[in-house]
Amino acid sequence: MPYVPAVMEMENAIIRMMEDLERALQKPPSERRWGMVIDLTKCVACDACTVSCKAEKKTPPNVNYTVVIKEEVGTYPNVREVFLPRPCMQCEEPPCVDVCPVAATWQNEEGIVVIDYDVCIGCRYCITACPYGARTFDFGEFYGDGTPMIEPYETAPTFEYGEERVRSPEARHESPIGNVRKCNFCIERLHEGLLPACINDCIGRARYFGDLNDPDSLVSEMLRERYSFRLKEELGTKPKVFYLS
Amino acid sequence: MSIKDTATDALQETKITRRTFIKTTAVLGGSMVAASAVDGAFQRMAGHEQVFSGVQAAGGYPLNTAETTIYSVCLQCHTACTIKGKILDGVLVKIDGNPYSPMNMLPQISYDTPLDKAARIDAKLCPKGQAGVESLYDPYRITKVLKRAGKRGENKWEVIPFDQAINEIVNGGTFADGSSTPGLKEIWAVQDPDLMKALKEDAMAVASGDMTLDEFKTKHADHLDMLIDPDHPDLGPKNNQFVFQAGRIEHGRKEFAKRWLKDAFGSINWYEHTTICEQSHHIAFQQMTNAYKGNGKWGGGKTHLKPDFANAEMVIFFGTGAFEANFGPTPMSELVTWSLTYRNMKMAVVDPRLSKTAAKAKWWLPVKPGADAALALALGRWIVENERYDAKYLANANKAAAAEDDETSWTNATWLVKIEDGKPTRLLRPNEVGLGDVDGFVVSQGGKLVVVDPNDEENPVEGDLFADGTVNGIQYKSAFQLYKEETMAHSLEEWSDICGIPVRKIEEVAREFTSHGKRVGVDLYRGPVQHTNGYYTGLAIIMLNVLVGNAGWTGGMGPGGSHWHEDGSKSGQPFNIVKGMHPGKLGSFGVPLTREKWHYEKSTLFKRDGYPAKRLWFPYTGNVYQEIIPSAADGYPYPIKALWLHKGTPGYAAPAGNPTLAAIADPNVIPLVIADDIVIGETSMYADYLFPDTAIWERWGTPHTTPAVQSKTSKFRQPMIDPLVEKVTVFGEEQPVSMEAVMLAIAEKMGLPGYGVNGFGDGMDFKTRQDYFLRMAANLAWGDKEDGSDAVPEADDEEFRILREARAHLPKAIFDEERWKKIIGDESLWRRTVYLLNRGGRFEDFSKVYKGEKLAHPYKGLFNIFVDNVASGYHSMTGDHFYGLPFFEPIKDAGGSVLAEESDQYPFRLFSFKHIYGGQSRTVGNYWAQLNVAKENYVLINQADADRLGLQEDQLVKIVSPTNPDGVWKLPNHGVMPIVGKLKPIQGIRPGTVAASWSFGHWAYGASDFIINGEVVKGDPRRATGVCPNAAMYEDPVLNNVSLTDPIGGSASFFDTPVNVVPV
Amino acid sequence: MNKNKGWTIAYWAIAIVMLGVGAIGLYWRLVYGHLLANYGELIVWGLWVAMYIFFVGLSAGAFMVSSLFYAFGLERFRPVARLGLLVSLIAMPLGLVSIWFDLGHMWRFFELYTRPSFTSLMSVEVWLYTAFLIVLVWMIWLEYHDEEKKSKMLKVLSAIGLVLVVLYEGAGGALYGVAAARPAWHGGLFPLLFILSAFTAGVAGVIVAYVFFSKDHPDEEDYRRVVSELGKLLLALVAIESLFLFSEYSVALYSSVPSEIAPLIAILTGPYWYVFWIGQIGLGIVLPLIVLLWKRARQSPVWVGIAGVGVVIATFAMRLNIVIPPLALPELNGLIEAVPGSTRMSMQYMPSSMEWFLAIGIVGFGMALFALGYALFPTTPPAEKEA
Ligand SMILES: Nc1nc2c(c(=O)[nH]1)N[C@H]1C(S)=C(S)[C@@H](COP(=O)(O)OP(=O)(O)OC[C@H]3O[C@@H](n4cnc5c(=O)[nH]c(N)nc54)[C@H](O)[C@@H]3O)O[C@H]1N2
Ligand SMILES: Nc1nc2c(c(=O)[nH]1)N[C@H]1C(S)=C(S)[C@@H](COP(=O)(O)OP(=O)(O)OC[C@H]3O[C@@H](n4cnc5c(=O)[nH]c(N)nc54)[C@H](O)[C@@H]3O)O[C@H]1N2
Ligand code: SF4
Ligand code: SF4
Ligand code: SF4
Ligand code: SF4
Ligand code: SF4
Ligand SMILES: [Mo]
Repeated sequence: MPYVPAVMEMENAIIRMMEDLERALQKPPSERRWGMVIDLTKCVACDACTVSCKAEKKTPPNVNYTVVIKEEVGTYPNVREVFLPRPCMQCEEPPCVDVCPVAATWQNEEGIVVIDYDVCIGCRYCITACPYGARTFDFGEFYGDGTPMIEPYETAPTFEYGEERVRSPEARHESPIGNVRKCNFCIERLHEGLLPACINDCIGRARYFGDLNDPDSLVSEMLRERYSFRLKEELGTKPKVFYLS
Repeated sequence: MSIKDTATDALQETKITRRTFIKTTAVLGGSMVAASAVDGAFQRMAGHEQVFSGVQAAGGYPLNTAETTIYSVCLQCHTACTIKGKILDGVLVKIDGNPYSPMNMLPQISYDTPLDKAARIDAKLCPKGQAGVESLYDPYRITKVLKRAGKRGENKWEVIPFDQAINEIVNGGTFADGSSTPGLKEIWAVQDPDLMKALKEDAMAVASGDMTLDEFKTKHADHLDMLIDPDHPDLGPKNNQFVFQAGRIEHGRKEFAKRWLKDAFGSINWYEHTTICEQSHHIAFQQMTNAYKGNGKWGGGKTHLKPDFANAEMVIFFGTGAFEANFGPTPMSELVTWSLTYRNMKMAVVDPRLSKTAAKAKWWLPVKPGADAALALALGRWIVENERYDAKYLANANKAAAAEDDETSWTNATWLVKIEDGKPTRLLRPNEVGLGDVDGFVVSQGGKLVVVDPNDEENPVEGDLFADGTVNGIQYKSAFQLYKEETMAHSLEEWSDICGIPVRKIEEVAREFTSHGKRVGVDLYRGPVQHTNGYYTGLAIIMLNVLVGNAGWTGGMGPGGSHWHEDGSKSGQPFNIVKGMHPGKLGSFGVPLTREKWHYEKSTLFKRDGYPAKRLWFPYTGNVYQEIIPSAADGYPYPIKALWLHKGTPGYAAPAGNPTLAAIADPNVIPLVIADDIVIGETSMYADYLFPDTAIWERWGTPHTTPAVQSKTSKFRQPMIDPLVEKVTVFGEEQPVSMEAVMLAIAEKMGLPGYGVNGFGDGMDFKTRQDYFLRMAANLAWGDKEDGSDAVPEADDEEFRILREARAHLPKAIFDEERWKKIIGDESLWRRTVYLLNRGGRFEDFSKVYKGEKLAHPYKGLFNIFVDNVASGYHSMTGDHFYGLPFFEPIKDAGGSVLAEESDQYPFRLFSFKHIYGGQSRTVGNYWAQLNVAKENYVLINQADADRLGLQEDQLVKIVSPTNPDGVWKLPNHGVMPIVGKLKPIQGIRPGTVAASWSFGHWAYGASDFIINGEVVKGDPRRATGVCPNAAMYEDPVLNNVSLTDPIGGSASFFDTPVNVVPV
Repeated sequence: MNKNKGWTIAYWAIAIVMLGVGAIGLYWRLVYGHLLANYGELIVWGLWVAMYIFFVGLSAGAFMVSSLFYAFGLERFRPVARLGLLVSLIAMPLGLVSIWFDLGHMWRFFELYTRPSFTSLMSVEVWLYTAFLIVLVWMIWLEYHDEEKKSKMLKVLSAIGLVLVVLYEGAGGALYGVAAARPAWHGGLFPLLFILSAFTAGVAGVIVAYVFFSKDHPDEEDYRRVVSELGKLLLALVAIESLFLFSEYSVALYSSVPSEIAPLIAILTGPYWYVFWIGQIGLGIVLPLIVLLWKRARQSPVWVGIAGVGVVIATFAMRLNIVIPPLALPELNGLIEAVPGSTRMSMQYMPSSMEWFLAIGIVGFGMALFALGYALFPTTPPAEKEA
C-alpha cells in the first residue's frame, strides 16, 4: 500500500460546516439548534476570534463579544498555560432574559439570545444576571477618540441582526450606543449561509459551529466522539457552547 | 435623515478631513451631539413599534459577494499571508483569509472555484492581519510630504508640495534653522555605464593586486574625482555615498528599489533589515546547504527549511514556535494543532519562556539564553553515542549515492578534513593526498581514500562515517568524526550545566526525536541565532535534522512549495523585468558601507590597516542592518552623504540603538536624510524630508511564500482602496505618493536611465508603479514553463465584470482597465493576468503537495557538516580563521574577547519575544488587536526572582545594563526616555532571565505630540504604553556605537545582555 | 423652614450652588451620554444606582413613618405624619431621576410602561413605584384639600401605600437577591434587609427633617417628646439592623466560598474600607448607639438629629456597598486579564466628576423641592394649627 499522508484525507472543516449550515437553513427555524464547539486542545490563544468579532461588528472600546481567558497554572518548571475562549453561551435557560424589564432581549426560535437595540433601555440589569460575563454595555466610545480623527472603519455600517446600523460619534445617543451588546452567533451571517466570523478566522481551527439538532453536522459528530463539558453546568443555564478537552 | 444617509455623509466628511492631512479637531463635538440626542429620542419614540424578530431584513448582509471583494496580501508581519478584503462604499471594512490559498485554508479550495462562490468562504487569518484595517486607517497616517521645520527629531514639520521636495532633494535644500543639505545630483558622480564598468574592473584588479594603484590612477586620471577615495578605488564611486536602508521591504518593491539605486543611480549601498531579524539562521542554513560549484567555489544554498508540520510525528522548536511569530501563525497554527490533536504529534519547545507553543508541547525546555548550541550538541551526543542517527543516509557522499537510497539530499559526513595543529582546517582535496589533479573531495572507504565528486549523478560514492588517519603527513578526520568529537567535548552532565536543561529531559527528547524515522523535524528561528554565536548555534541545531536525514521526506524538512517567478527570469516568460529590460543600466560596484560579502583581506584597506580592521567585515552575510548608520558615523570605510530610510526604524528596532539615533540626528554625519513612512516613525522622525507611503493595502507587491507552506504559491498584492495619500504627477501620470512615486520622480528629475518613455525598452514605458507590477503579475500568470503550458486560465467576461465592479470605487490613477491592458499588451496574457488578479495570486492544488513518502517540493542537495566555505575565511579583527563545524562559543565582542555574563551587578539575562498581536514596530495603532488584547507589555520575571528581590506585580522597574547603566533611551532633540516598564512576575519564564515582548514602548508612531505647520497634533497615550528594552542591549565594547554582532551570520545580538531591574 | 432668616439664605445658596454643579453634570450627561461615566463593564452600576435605591428606600421609610399615624393611628407620631409624606414625596422622584440618568437610553423609559416584562423585578418595581406615587399624591391631595371623609380614606390609602412600599422594597432587595450570577447578592435575606433599612432610613430622614429643617415647633415639649420617640424607634431599628449585618457578614465570611468572601473582604479592607467602617459602622451604628443610649443626648433633639444624619449617611453607604463591591468580582477567573484593553473591565470604581456633579445636583434638587414643598404643604399637623 503506498503511503498516503494523513493530511491528504483531511476534510475542509469550513466547507463542511457551510454545508451543514445550508442543510440547517432548509429546516424551519424552530427545528434548528445552533451550537458552538470549542476544542481547547487546538486553541492557541491567538485571539483571532476576538479580533474577528470586533472587526465584523465594529465593536467599540470595551465591548468584546468573545474573549480568550489565559491562565498560568503550576510553578516553574512545571508550568502550563490553559486557554478558554468565551463567547456568549447562548444558554438554553438564559438568566439574562428574564431580568430584562422591557423584554428587549429574548431567545429566538433558533435558540439564539438576541437583543433589540431599539427597545433596550440600557439598564444593564442583564449584565449583572449573566454568569459568564458575556454582556457588555456600549458606552459610546470610539477608538479614534482623542486622536486626530475617527476613521471610516469605525463609522462604517454594520449589519448586526440584519439591520444596517451606523455608530457615529456625532450621535452618541443612537443605538447601539447606550445598549447592552453581546455575541449573537452572527445570526445575520447564518441567515446568509455564512458561518460566524470567529469560526472562519480561528487560526488554530479550534472553533466549530453548526446545528446541534442535526446528527450529521460536524458539531454533533464531534460531541459524540469527544468528551465535552460546558461552563458552570451546575447553574442549569444549559449553554450551547461546548468545550472539548 | 435616515441612518443610511447619515452614514454616507459621515464617510464623505472623513474623506474630506483626510485630504487635509490630519486635522486636530476636538473629537467630542459639544452641542451638536446634544441636539441630535434629543432628535434621536423622538425619532425612536415614533418608530419603536416596528417589530423586531431576529433577522428578517432582506439582503441584510451585503458583504461576501465577489463584487465587494478584492484579494491581496497582508504584511502586518512578514509572513505576508494572502488576504481577502471586503470593501463597502470604498472603505476596507473587513479582512479575512483567501480561501484559494494554502496559507489560509486547509485544504484550500480549488483554483478554478468561481469567484462568487469563493467570496462566500472566509478563510482564517491571524488577529494582526485582521487588524490591518486599523493600520490602514490610522489617524496618525501622513498623507502629504513633510519637511523638517526644526532640528532633526524635534518633530516640527511643514507640509510642502511634492515637486518642491523632489527638487530640493535633487538640487539641495535649506531648512528653517538655516542649515542646508547637498542634493543627490552632487552624489551622482559616475553616470556612464561604460565608465562604471571600466572603473569596476580596474578597481577590482587593484584590490586583487593585478594592477597597481599608480596604473589605475594614470588610466583613470580624468575620473578620480568621481571616486570616494582614489587611493582605494575598490571603495567605488561617489554614487555609493547615497545609501538606501530599508526595514522590512518585500519582494517586488525590493527589486524595484534595487533597480533604481544599484542599476540606475549606481550605488552599491542597498540594504534591508535581515541581520536584526534572523540572518544567522539564514546563513547557517545557507552555508550548510551550500552547493559545491567546482574549483573551490560554493554557491546557492537554501536559507530556510521547515518541518512538514502536517505529517511530522515529532517536532522540536528552538527559540521559535508555531502560534505567535515565526513564518507564521496563520499558515502554521492549524497544521500544528491538527497534528497535535488528531495525529498525536509530539512537540518539544526550547525557549526560556513558556511560549504559547510550549504551553501545548510535551516538553518545555527553558534553555539558558545563548546556550542552545550546548543543548543541541548534547542531543547530538546522545544520538551519536546511542547510534540513533541514520548511518545509511550519512554514508552517502554524493548525489548518485543518495539517489540509490531514494534520498534527495546527501551530506559531507564522510568527507575528510585536514587537521593542522590539532585543529580541523579545510576539506582535504584529492591533489593533496596524491589522488590526482581532479576537482572534488576525499572520502575514506575502509581506510582507503577515494575521490568524491559531490554532484556526480552517475557514480555513487559512500564513505566511512568515522575516519581518522594520516596520509602524506597530513592528518585527517571525517567530518562526522569531527562532529562526534564536538559533541563529546563535554559530558551530558556538563552540557546540561551549560544549557540548564536536566539530562533526563535531554535524553527523553533525543530518544523521542529518533523514534519516528524521518517524520521528525527541528525548527529554529530567532531565539537561538540572534546571538554573537548565532551562526555556530544554527549549525548545531540544523545538524539534528541532518542526523536523521529527514530532508525531502513527508513529515521531514523541506523548503516549502516555493513560487512561480514574477521577475521574468525564466526563459519564455513575457517580461524579464529584473535581469533585463533596463536600457542604459548604469550598474554599481565597490565595498559596501557595511563591508559585507567582502573578505577584508581582499580589499585595499587590508593592505593599509592590516589586523585588526577598524570595524568588522562580513564575508559570509549581507544586509548587516545595524552596521549601516554606525559605519557612516565612523566614516568607515567611507563617509556617506545621503541616506534614504524606507520602512525601517533602526534606532528603535535594532538592539543598542542610542548611538544610531545620535548619528542620524547629526547632519555632519549624514548631510541628507530622506525617509518614507506611513506615519511619523521612531526613526523616520529624524528625516529632513518625510514622504508618505502607500500602505500595504494600497500598493502592489509580490511577496514570497514561507517554507511552512508546502504548495507552490505566488501571492500578489494589489491596491484594495484608493490610497489615502495625496496624488502627484510624475512623468505626466497621476499617482499616489509612495516609495515608487518618489523614485520615479527623482529618476525623472535627474534623468536616471531606464525610466519614463521606453523605460523598459522599446514601446514599454516605465512611468508608474503599475507599469512595473502588472508586468510581474503577467509573468506569474504565464508561469515558469517556457511554452506557457502552466499558465493560469483566461478570465471570461463574467470575471471581467467582477474585476470592474469590485474596483468601481477606485479612481483612474489606481484602476484603469484600458491602461492595464495596454501595459500587458497581449489579449490572452491580459485575460490570464486578470484571472490571477481576481484570486490574489496563484496557488498549486493541494493534491500536488505530497508524493507518498516524499515531499513534492523537496530540498535536493548537499548538507555540509563541515562548512569549508566558512572555514576558509578570517575574522577581520582578530585575524583568526573561522571554524568549520558547529560548536558552542561563548559571547564575544567584535575584538573576539569573551564578555562577562551575569554578575551581582547585572544578575539577569535579557531577552525579548513577539506576541501574536504585535507586528514588529507597526501595530501599535491596532486598537482591536495589540491595544485591546494586550494594551501594554511587561517586564517579565520569574516569581521566585521577584520574591527574592521583594519586587511586586505592576511595580515600575528600569532595565539597566553594562552599556546602558542609566537605563535610558537617548532621543536627540526629543529628550530622554527611561527604559521603564511594569513588572510582572510569572512562573513561565526561566529564573535568572528578564523578558519584555516586542512592539511596545513607542515614542513616535502617534505616541507623542508633533507639530505640523505650527499646529500641535496630540499623540495618543494608548500608543505610548509598555517598554521596548532594545536600548539596554549590549553596545559592542570595542566598536562602541553598535550592538554586538555575529561576525559570520551578521545577526545583531538581542539575547546576550546581562541586565538588572531596578525599582523606580 | 427654620426660623433664622440667615439660615434660609444659606440653605438656598447651598441648594442653588448644588443645582449649578448639577447643571454641569446634566450637560455632560446629555451631551456625552455615558462616555464620561466611571461605571464600567464589570461594575456596571455605580453611584447613581446606589442613590436610586437609597432615595426610593428613604421614600418608603418616610412613608412608613407617616403610616404610623395614618394607618396605625398612633397619635404620638402625628406631628411628623405630614413630614413623612413630604419626605416620601420628594425622595421618590430623586430616586427615579437618579436611575433615569443611569439608563443607556433615558428617553426610552416609557418602554417600561408600554412593554413591561413582569418576569423582571425591575419592571415590577417600576409599576409599584408608579402605583405608590399615585397613592402618595392622592394622600397629599386629600390631606390638604379634602376636609371631609379624609381620615378614613387616608387610612385606607396609607395601608395600601404601606403594602406597596414594603413590596417594592422587598422586590428591590430581591432584584439583587435573584442574581445567581453574583454570589454576594444571591440569597434570601436581601428583601428583608431592604425593608428594614428603608424604615431605618425613613425614621432617620424624618428626624433630620424634623429637627433641622422644620420651622418653629410651637409646642417645644411635644417636639422633644416626638423626637425622643423617634429616637427610640431609631435605636431599635439600628439594633436590629446591626444584627442583620452581623449575621450576613459572619455567615458569608465563614462560608469560605471565595466568590462570596471576596466582595466582603473588599468591603472590609479594600480601598473604600471607610465606606463600611466609617460610614456603615461608625455613623450608622456606633454614633446612633452612643447618642441614643446616652440618656442626656437622647433627650436633646439636636443630638438625636445628629444621630439621624449619621444613619441617613450610613444607609447611603450601605447602598453603595450593596451595589458596587459584589459587582467587582469577574464572573469567570481571568476575565479581566483576558482583554486588558478593556479599561472599563475594572475592579476599581470611583465615580467620575460627571457622576458626582449630577449626584450633587440631584441632592440640590431635593433641597429645593423640600423647601418648596415645605412652603406649599405646611407640615404642622392641622389639628394643632387649629388649636
Ligand atoms: N506575531 C508576529 N509574528 C511575526 C512577526 C511579528 O512581528 N509578529 N514578524 C515575523 C518576523 S520578521 C520574524 S523574524 C519572525 C520571528 O519569529 P520567531 O523567531 O519565532 O520570534 P521571536 O519572538 O522574535 O523569537 C524569539 C523567541 O526565542 C525565544 N528566545 C529568546 N532568547 C532565546 C535563546 O537564547 N534561546 C532560545 N532557544 N530561545 C530564545 C523568545 O522567548 C522567543 O520565543 O516572526 C515573523 N512573524
Ligand atoms: N525587542 C525586539 N526588537 C526587535 C524584534 C523583537 O522580537 N524584539 N524583532 C526584530 C525583527 S525580527 C525585525 S524583522 C525587526 C523589524 O524592524 P523594522 O524593519 O525596523 O520594523 P517594521 O515594523 O517592519 O517597520 C519599521 C517602520 O517602518 C515604518 N512603516 C510601517 N509600515 C510602513 C509602510 O507601509 N511603508 C513605509 N514606507 N514605512 C512603513 C514605520 O515607521 C515602522 O516603525 O525588528 C527587530 N527588533
Ligand atoms: S451567556 Fe449570558 S448573555 Fe449569553 S445567554 Fe447565557 S446568560 Fe445570556
Ligand atoms: S440593558 Fe437592555 S437588554 Fe439588558 S436588561 Fe436592560 S433593557 Fe433589557
Ligand atoms: S459568533 Fe459572531 S458574534 Fe459571536 S463571538 Fe463569534 S463573531 Fe462574535
Ligand atoms: S481564534 Fe481559535 S485558536 Fe485563536 S484564540 Fe480563538 S479559539 Fe483559540
Ligand atoms: S501572520 Fe502576519 S502576514 Fe499573516 S495575517 Fe498575520 S500578520 Fe498578516
Ligand atoms: Mo524579522
